[in-house]
Amino acid sequence: MRSHTEPFEFHATLSHLDEGLEALHESVRKLREASGRSADDRNLMHFEIALAEIGANVLTHGRPAGTDPPVEYRLWLDDDTAHASFVDGGPPVEEVLSRAMPDQESEAGRGLPMARWLLDDLLYKRDGEVNRWRLVKRL
Amino acid sequence: MSLEVQTRQVDNGVTVVAPTGRLDVAGAPALKDAISEAVKNGQPRVVLDMEGISFVDSTGLGSVIAALKQIRSSQGDLRLAAPNQQVRVVLELTTLDRVFPYYSTVEEALTGF
Repeated sequence: MRSHTEPFEFHATLSHLDEGLEALHESVRKLREASGRSADDRNLMHFEIALAEIGANVLTHGRPAGTDPPVEYRLWLDDDTAHASFVDGGPPVEEVLSRAMPDQESEAGRGLPMARWLLDDLLYKRDGEVNRWRLVKRL
Repeated sequence: MSLEVQTRQVDNGVTVVAPTGRLDVAGAPALKDAISEAVKNGQPRVVLDMEGISFVDSTGLGSVIAALKQIRSSQGDLRLAAPNQQVRVVLELTTLDRVFPYYSTVEEALTGF
């Protein structure tokens, strides 16, 4: 039986691509344990795929060369809903968000369309000099 | 390092490329290097043993598409073997399972290749 009574919150400051991605997967492992879900829970798997896509984008483009500000990451569970947020200091990305899924021959460009499709909500806001992302998925 | 790649050649001249770890934006370059090496050695029939891949993202998937193009441009072919459930989900979500029919095991992929 799943337990939704235990509060769950994860916070990390991400400064490197590989370690940052590892931290994202680690946070999902902890959420899985805290919520008593199995390794093949489909909704949580979909959330992890979307989280990794947005996270890779943020860690790649959200830390401009020369300045390299860290990315603030939070993950929390609210009843049956997973929420994640990123705050990064990269350039605005509005036009990237509207991209459609590319054709099968394309080697890039699937990440954000896939994340949009997998999440219940993918929210983005330019806030002064930072990008704020919110990912929401009912589990 | 999110991905380590081992390469071996089997009796019928097929190269088996076996990554271990996450095939993601951080790990994709290691796969690209291994595929380039396999093609350079004149062994363009390649089985990608995915059993050790714990997680794939869109960049990792892009590196598999790039591998297929590179191998086919050398008159070779690529077969995918033993993807886990997460890899299969991503292949299905992106409809790339139509481009990459996958085999349950490396042995199945090698049969008749």
